[in-house]
Amino acid sequence: MTRIATPAELDSLRRSLIQARDPNRRVIAVCGGTGCRASGSLSVIGAFREELRDQGLDGEVDVVATGCPGLCERGPIVVIRPQGIFYERVTVEDVSAIVGESVLKGEVVERLLHVDPETGRRATFKEDIRFYQKQKRFVLDQNGIIDPTSINDYIELGGYSALCKALRGMTPGEIIEEISASKLRGRGGAGFPTGLKWRFCHEAPGETKYVVCNADEGDPGAYMDDSLMEGNPHRVLEGMIIGAYAIGAQYGFVYIRNEYPLAVEHLQMAIDEAEACGLLGKDILGSGFDFTLEIRLGSGAFVCGEETALMASIEGRIGEPRPRPPFPAQSGLWGKPTNINNVETWANVPIIINRGAEWYSSQGTERSGGTKIFSLVGKINNTGLVEVPIGTALGDIIYDMGGGIRGGKRFKAAQLGGPSGGCIPKEHLDATVDYATLQELGAIMGSGGLVVCDEDTCMVDLARYFLSFVQEESCGKCIPCRVGTQAMLDTLERICAGEGREGDIEYLIELASEIKRSALCGLGQTAPNPVLTTIRYFRDEYEAHIRDKRCPAGACQELFVSPCQNACPAGTDVPLYTSLIAEGRFTEAVAAILDTNPFPSVCGRVCHHPCEAKCRRNQTDAAVSIRQLKRFVGDHVENRPLPSVTSRANPAKVAIVGAGPSGLTCAYFLARMGYRPTVFEKLPVAGGMLAVGIPDYRLPRDVLEREIQGIEALGVEIVTNTSLGQDTTLAQLQGQGYEAFYIATGAHGGRRLGIAGEELQGVVQAVDFLRDVNLSPGETRAGRRVAVVGGGNAAIDAARSALRLGAERVYVLYRRTRSEMPAQAEEIEAAQAEGIEFRFLVTPAAIVGDGEKVSAVECQPMELGEYDRSGRRRPIPAQDDPFQLEVDMVVAAISQSPEATDALGDSDVETTAGGLIKIDGNGCTNLPNVFAGGDVCSGPSLAINAIAAGEKGAVAIDQYLNPDETRIYSWRQMRPADVPFDPGAKAVEYGRCQTSELTVAERSAGFREVEGTISADTAVREARRCLRCDCRETEM
Amino acid sequence: MDFKPCELATTIGMNGQDTPLISVLEEIQSRYRYLPREAMVLVSERMGVPLSQVYSVATFYNAFSLRPKGRHVVTVCMGTACHVRGSKRVLEQVEETLDIRPGETTPDRQFSLETVNCLGACALGPIMVIEGEYFGQMTPDKVEPGLDQYSNGGDEGENE
Repeated sequence: MTRIATPAELDSLRRSLIQARDPNRRVIAVCGGTGCRASGSLSVIGAFREELRDQGLDGEVDVVATGCPGLCERGPIVVIRPQGIFYERVTVEDVSAIVGESVLKGEVVERLLHVDPETGRRATFKEDIRFYQKQKRFVLDQNGIIDPTSINDYIELGGYSALCKALRGMTPGEIIEEISASKLRGRGGAGFPTGLKWRFCHEAPGETKYVVCNADEGDPGAYMDDSLMEGNPHRVLEGMIIGAYAIGAQYGFVYIRNEYPLAVEHLQMAIDEAEACGLLGKDILGSGFDFTLEIRLGSGAFVCGEETALMASIEGRIGEPRPRPPFPAQSGLWGKPTNINNVETWANVPIIINRGAEWYSSQGTERSGGTKIFSLVGKINNTGLVEVPIGTALGDIIYDMGGGIRGGKRFKAAQLGGPSGGCIPKEHLDATVDYATLQELGAIMGSGGLVVCDEDTCMVDLARYFLSFVQEESCGKCIPCRVGTQAMLDTLERICAGEGREGDIEYLIELASEIKRSALCGLGQTAPNPVLTTIRYFRDEYEAHIRDKRCPAGACQELFVSPCQNACPAGTDVPLYTSLIAEGRFTEAVAAILDTNPFPSVCGRVCHHPCEAKCRRNQTDAAVSIRQLKRFVGDHVENRPLPSVTSRANPAKVAIVGAGPSGLTCAYFLARMGYRPTVFEKLPVAGGMLAVGIPDYRLPRDVLEREIQGIEALGVEIVTNTSLGQDTTLAQLQGQGYEAFYIATGAHGGRRLGIAGEELQGVVQAVDFLRDVNLSPGETRAGRRVAVVGGGNAAIDAARSALRLGAERVYVLYRRTRSEMPAQAEEIEAAQAEGIEFRFLVTPAAIVGDGEKVSAVECQPMELGEYDRSGRRRPIPAQDDPFQLEVDMVVAAISQSPEATDALGDSDVETTAGGLIKIDGNGCTNLPNVFAGGDVCSGPSLAINAIAAGEKGAVAIDQYLNPDETRIYSWRQMRPADVPFDPGAKAVEYGRCQTSELTVAERSAGFREVEGTISADTAVREARRCLRCDCRETEM
Repeated sequence: MDFKPCELATTIGMNGQDTPLISVLEEIQSRYRYLPREAMVLVSERMGVPLSQVYSVATFYNAFSLRPKGRHVVTVCMGTACHVRGSKRVLEQVEETLDIRPGETTPDRQFSLETVNCLGACALGPIMVIEGEYFGQMTPDKVEPGLDQYSNGGDEGENE
């Protein structure tokens, strides 16, 4: 390599490189970054070379291993130039097709293109992929294009021209001024203004000065620095050389962690090449400026990312931090003025010098210029590196670039800044990612690790994870960090193991503030942040661990037996009944369900099955069809065994108000404890929403009645057509000798749309419509053309019922998009199959009448705006013109409300502003003898939640009536499953069972049940798919 | 590889007097895959650094090991991105299969198990590395097939 002696020589080298480049040359660019290597890109590169050789093309087509283009999840990434065709997840098997189609014929191999998860559209070029569209890639622009091991590639694309510009026409003072004016702030975490830092070091007295690149990217989950050094090492070098010139440093070090072998290799190659060209060393580009750069390997100590510890390590000592001041700018390496910036900060420098501070500062916010790279990882669809202007909304990063949460799960929080940072919950998805906003929310920008957590991530466990990390990495020099974080960790470990105590949260907060105040270095001072932010936003999760010994996310293994049982609000022992079904022991299986839930056949039809979402079988193929198994065994066993009932009678009279799932479950458990409760029901039938909210095609009446009869058989009396508030009152019931009450009147009121025309004939509430459909199916009529407004299950039920009543066209109008719809996915799919027309992003503006009757609904098109407190984008009116849909019936299904106030009359039971009854965690109201649960306390919710609340209420009532007795509630005890299990056996490999369904033509004929029950053979087969997570022991 | 004092002498000699202690230890570690006691004594003598200081550096940094490593080093990443995607269960599976804990080596000296805080392949987590070969998107049931490639005496998956 010839030495480049002057800026002019560099320019002429660049010109000759550009001239020599054939723009039509065919190139296969394969990502050779660490991420894609983990997906097998090295074998793909080898296979391409071999294929080209076999075809005799190796002289005509180049294969280049590039740096990381960012979309790591989809690796290995292959780009075919000159067209720029972007292929993802390329395997060795795809190589000959790519060479045959794309390289030789210029055609596209469709199956390897990126598919947009939302629209299903294929993207041929990088620019068409949503992951890239909203990014602004200035620092990462050449990653994935150039060969990082070739300095010529870098020079050809303008590399080292910023250095030329700086050396040729700028004084050190001017460079520092430019960096200051660019508003560049340190990308390593603290965000200190870079220009100011340089000025301090520049002005510090002394001949010998150092610059250091902090490449000890220790924040777990952040890898943008790794990727920059692997993919474009010369840009980092160029930034450092310019910085050294401005500061007046002659020596530099790159302190890089040894866990990044590829980055070390590429950086060393870059240093060697730059030295050979004269871009490092003596008299760089003829300017008289000398600068020598060396690599120092970090040896696996997180604390060495702290600048004083880092310097100790470069000097060859153990990496213990020391107090500041003196700051490195005064006394750094070997006591000399030293300037330390991290990789990404250095890589921004050439861009600022080339494009100017004015342009650079126009990106980003008023106080902070430019872009920031985030490593978007965790439970997100498009994991990878994204570069966005500072000040971009967090929600945009997660949804537009990240493509949302994996597996259709719910977003819970984003963790920024690693062990020094904090988490940001869904309520703040609209927050802009800049230094000040993040700090306000308790997180920090950090080096850019953005770990996405979903509903399966336990925030207490995450806090424990970070504390154990910090405790392991604490250097031990100062006591607050060494002992204090251990004390915090001990507490968190106790909480996660189910041994938490009242006062633990306060203790953690107290310790945290002491450690923040008194620890020696940044590592210790920021170590409590993950704990503090998780307490700030997820205190309820801490309380669930401490008080209920429950891990709602299903991560803390000591707190549950199997994830499915832990997910069931009623705590149904899923592995027990599944394994019994697998053995063909159906009667015992249904007994196991009936122990905690009186409604096996009902829940086997309508349950949202949170258990299946947590099934570990999801990780291999698909969840066990737990709901179907429950339905099968509920239906199949004709003579159900009686649940355990105490032998001793309890004479106290208990009144239950409301015969829905919650009230009936409460009665069921009270009966098993020896009471003879009476259930008062306002409607002519028992069952609550199960009877009058869910249509027959989902839940046939006889199935429900059979299970209600099972409850009555235990000695429960159900009195229908008796309304609390109208027919009787709490006071009257008390007068009749009732000693305790359970209020479960549900949420049967409809919420008005609040628009003009609502009083017209043909406008109905979904709850009323569905009640009529259920109670008097023969007399209820739907319109000819029906519009249902809403996106929940009630909306879908109303729409599908209207269709069955003979409506010709049924629309569902929903103001957000399909992905925000709260209704169950299988319900939406069934409705679409039946021909119901969904109009998304539409809200009714007015109902138009022809005389007294509805004739149309005026619709306002909507679009999604900022993120709201629910973590969803808020629908706002779009620019498009409103349109009218011709309809003769409008069903309002936007929400349901409790009618507690009427029922409670002048009693003193406390309610919320929204009309819900206030209860504590045990179902107790403010009155000692009144208990409540279900929708009337929670607002409209799931049947299984109402069932769980009923059991809680029953236990609370028993404890109220028998305060002096210590009782064991048998169904709350764990029973070991007496089903043989061979831990060594391989799991069965076949997939999830299929269910039979009526054809669409058969469905429209009436209200026949759509879904069938699986056969006994299928059930046994399906049950054997269970992985038996309840068996933890590896040896029997 | 067995420790040979003559080789070490050249290592130190090649790097000259100015080589920092850490770099010398790194070279020894990468050659022998641990720091033999005799090597540390020799380093102390040759470099004129107290043995206590050599020991202090050797035990401070995670990259150094005072015990011999097995033929194949299995590393499970415990970084945040890997953690939220279930690296704990991957580690448990490796522990169960090899019957060793992190930091230990199998009695036949075939495998050593280690954990690491982050390998920079966060997008592909959980990550397991065997002898420099990265295994992305790990699940517990991919552990045994991965280890099998190395345990049958053959070195066919090895990355040279």
